[in-house]
Amino acid sequence: MSASGTTNTTRRSSLFAWALALPMPVWQTLFFVAALLFLVVMSFWSVQNFRVTPDFTFDNWAKIYSAGYFRVTYVRTVLYALLAATLASLIAFPCAYGLAFKASPLMRRIVVASLIMPYFTSYLVRANSWKILLTDQGVINSVLGTVGLGPLPMTSNLFAVMIGYLTLILPIVILLQYFSLANVDRRLIEAAHNLRCGRVRTVFQVIIPSARTGLILAATFAFILSFGDFVSPSFLGNNKPPTLSVLMVDAVKSGSQWPRAAVVALTMVATLLLVAFLAMNFAYGEKRKRS
Amino acid sequence: MKADRIISLAFKAYIWLALLFVFAPILTSFVFSFDANKFAAIPWGGFSTKWYAEAFGDPEVAKSLRNTVIVALSSSILATLIGFTAAYTDYRYDFFGKKVYLALAFIPPTIPVIILGVAMLVLLGRIGLSGQLHSVIIAHVVYSLPFAMALIRLRLSQMNKDLEAAAWNLGASQWRALKEIIIPFCLPAIFSALFLTMAVSFDEYAIAWFVSGFNETLPVRILILLQREVSPKVNAIGSLVFIVSMTLVMLAQIVFLMREPGSGKGKRI
Amino acid sequence: MAEPLLVLDGVVKRYDDHTAVHKIDLEIAAGEFIALMGPSGCGKTTTLRMIAGLEAPSEGEIRLRGRRMNDVAPWERDTPLVWQSLALFPFMSVLKNVEFGLKMRNIPAAERTKKAMPWLERVGIAKYRDRKVDQLSGGERQRVALARALVTEPEILLLDEPLSALDAHLVIRMQAELKQLQQQLGITFCYVTHSQSEAFAMADRVAIMAEGRLQQVGPPREVYRAPANRFVAEFVGANNLLSGKVKSIAQGIVMVETAAGIMRARENPLLALLPGDAVTVVVSADRAVVSDSTADGENSLAGTVIGEQFVGAFVTLHLDLGDGSTFRAQLQQHALEPLGQVRGKRLSLRWKPEHTVLLKDK
Repeated sequence: MSASGTTNTTRRSSLFAWALALPMPVWQTLFFVAALLFLVVMSFWSVQNFRVTPDFTFDNWAKIYSAGYFRVTYVRTVLYALLAATLASLIAFPCAYGLAFKASPLMRRIVVASLIMPYFTSYLVRANSWKILLTDQGVINSVLGTVGLGPLPMTSNLFAVMIGYLTLILPIVILLQYFSLANVDRRLIEAAHNLRCGRVRTVFQVIIPSARTGLILAATFAFILSFGDFVSPSFLGNNKPPTLSVLMVDAVKSGSQWPRAAVVALTMVATLLLVAFLAMNFAYGEKRKRS
Repeated sequence: MKADRIISLAFKAYIWLALLFVFAPILTSFVFSFDANKFAAIPWGGFSTKWYAEAFGDPEVAKSLRNTVIVALSSSILATLIGFTAAYTDYRYDFFGKKVYLALAFIPPTIPVIILGVAMLVLLGRIGLSGQLHSVIIAHVVYSLPFAMALIRLRLSQMNKDLEAAAWNLGASQWRALKEIIIPFCLPAIFSALFLTMAVSFDEYAIAWFVSGFNETLPVRILILLQREVSPKVNAIGSLVFIVSMTLVMLAQIVFLMREPGSGKGKRI
Repeated sequence: MAEPLLVLDGVVKRYDDHTAVHKIDLEIAAGEFIALMGPSGCGKTTTLRMIAGLEAPSEGEIRLRGRRMNDVAPWERDTPLVWQSLALFPFMSVLKNVEFGLKMRNIPAAERTKKAMPWLERVGIAKYRDRKVDQLSGGERQRVALARALVTEPEILLLDEPLSALDAHLVIRMQAELKQLQQQLGITFCYVTHSQSEAFAMADRVAIMAEGRLQQVGPPREVYRAPANRFVAEFVGANNLLSGKVKSIAQGIVMVETAAGIMRARENPLLALLPGDAVTVVVSADRAVVSDSTADGENSLAGTVIGEQFVGAFVTLHLDLGDGSTFRAQLQQHALEPLGQVRGKRLSLRWKPEHTVLLKDK
């Protein structure tokens, strides 16, 4: 390890460097990397008499992967997450665009600050509030009832699950899109207008291509968060039909099927890694080709 | 141009609508936490604070609140401390494998909490650290230290690079310069990181659900209540949780943006 | 002879991808004001940082009072630096900034203040002792930086372009004050600058660097009157350079043939010139006499005035020699008066052989 400020490598200064550099990797290796690695090990263990026992068997992998309901659930989870990421990206874009190009600096600051907050405030309680709003006797149906409509079924279905996902991901997608749009070179846009590129055409031919990395990043993040979410399918979707996270939680909580939960968890991690890899290639790949 | 103004207004209205979507559930929780009716519906059943009384009267809730406070305080201090050392390392040193070093810090929050929860349960259970408060603390540090690291790193990048070298030049050892110059300069970010990691831990339900065992934290208690019964008690607890975490996040933002005179930026003429 | 205060002995600084300093040998005496001068990227700041211990030499040795300093940590040296960015501690008051070096030497608080206050007074900022540094003007902050570096009473003070952020009128005043301070204190000042006027205004000796190498070291006068090479001649500024070829050498006079005619210069035996050698003729701008009579004979040129620059009582004329090159001539304003309006006029230039410097081209 060499210091940028000074290249004096006396013993004392390297003690200083190590003392500051090591705590983070040690902690993360001990409790994060080790946990993920152990999950791999666990997936080959077996359960005997309701007790997890060290073993080396492909049983868990075989059982899970041959189960029809698992494959269906896997596809469903991917489709749900894709739908959520698409919806969030589409709904967020006009918002991020307005923030970047139409809003006053004050409004920008207020909105950005308010959008940061939900990321750190109980998603659980927010999802529950949607239940209050969406049930047959809930607020929205009561209002609809007064004008003679409804009640519309808005819980325990795909609509409810998507509302839940959007609660989780919409603020962060707006923020990420906004940051990438805010970085688009204004001169490019002016140049486009100069060349008589219309407002709408400018958005599609200039702004979206220049902000593409950020837009893809936002959609990827939305996918990852929805893919792994347990609260929305469980509370708003009422576990019917389940997603992978619901299966996994069931395997851990109702029974000691930890090894099978490990298989599901690893499958999810692998999927997310693949998605992240593909998305990054898609986001940066084109750029590299062009330059 | 008139058309421009209308378009601009339409965008602004859309932004406020999006904000309404984001904040509607929070408002709902507040409104119905004071509703006398058991089942939340329109019309409102009249003002009542009985759900708050019921929530606070519940010994399980009180216990879980105490646990949450212990976990949030300890994990935020640890996460900020470790986050600071990592941020300083990233700021000052260049070394082989730095990308791996940074990935180690920043990957955990991108992994679904539910998976982290299972992984932590499996590991901590095996080494006999599961089911206790310190298991939750350990897991929350893993998950929240990148937030602390990012805030402090951002602050360090606003620092005039010469400041630390100037301290050495005037006779301060590296440790002394850290104490006299780097830490005072980063103080706003350090407080900001403390508040933010506290908020992260205060709200975290999934990892805690898996590793806390019988030592539930407040979010875990909420989760259990939600699974068990329909009770506006949850709205009361939820509203309190909102207030606490929003206060923490707001404090984090305010402290971070607070510019004590001469934070160095733009003044380097 | 006793070892000088500071010795750089074959010092080299290499980075992964380039060499910043190639083998520098330099001796700095106690009590002298030396300026390290050169264009940006010439290695002058790297050299200064090596003296302060902020960079370690890759080769060679730095000795302070005979002691090898290569492995001494910066905080164990007594080589305070006045930074180009000033690097004042923004969250401390003026007094706390100045006391910092004393605090690091574990001097008790009361004594620190007692020692720091005279320095604040000396540089004229005592009344701001409790202010934060960003409430001060540029010049005042400059003084805080100076007091902060001097409070530990070092034998040598390092300065890295300390005046580059100041307004022009303040620079002149600070130059005078710095020079006076150095003389009163009797300590060594090692001053890095890219500005020739700054170096020449203050330094006892200047060391000119380019591309990591020392080009010439000497008193400003000597560097100005007898540049060692073409780089120095160009860098020092007010010189005119003409390329030519030695035609003959006789009776201590060298005749050089240039595009503008024959030039005569005193012979310098050290150059060991032979007829046919390629040389550069250097004529200092203030040595040329300007008149409106026609040019004739040797050491004489004619050109059309294309520009005038007035600085104080002096004027610099830019003359187009007709072959694409320009010649600068500096003279007092009153000497210009008899010539009337000169812009566009054709004037002649003349100078003495002893004011012509020859450089052998490589």
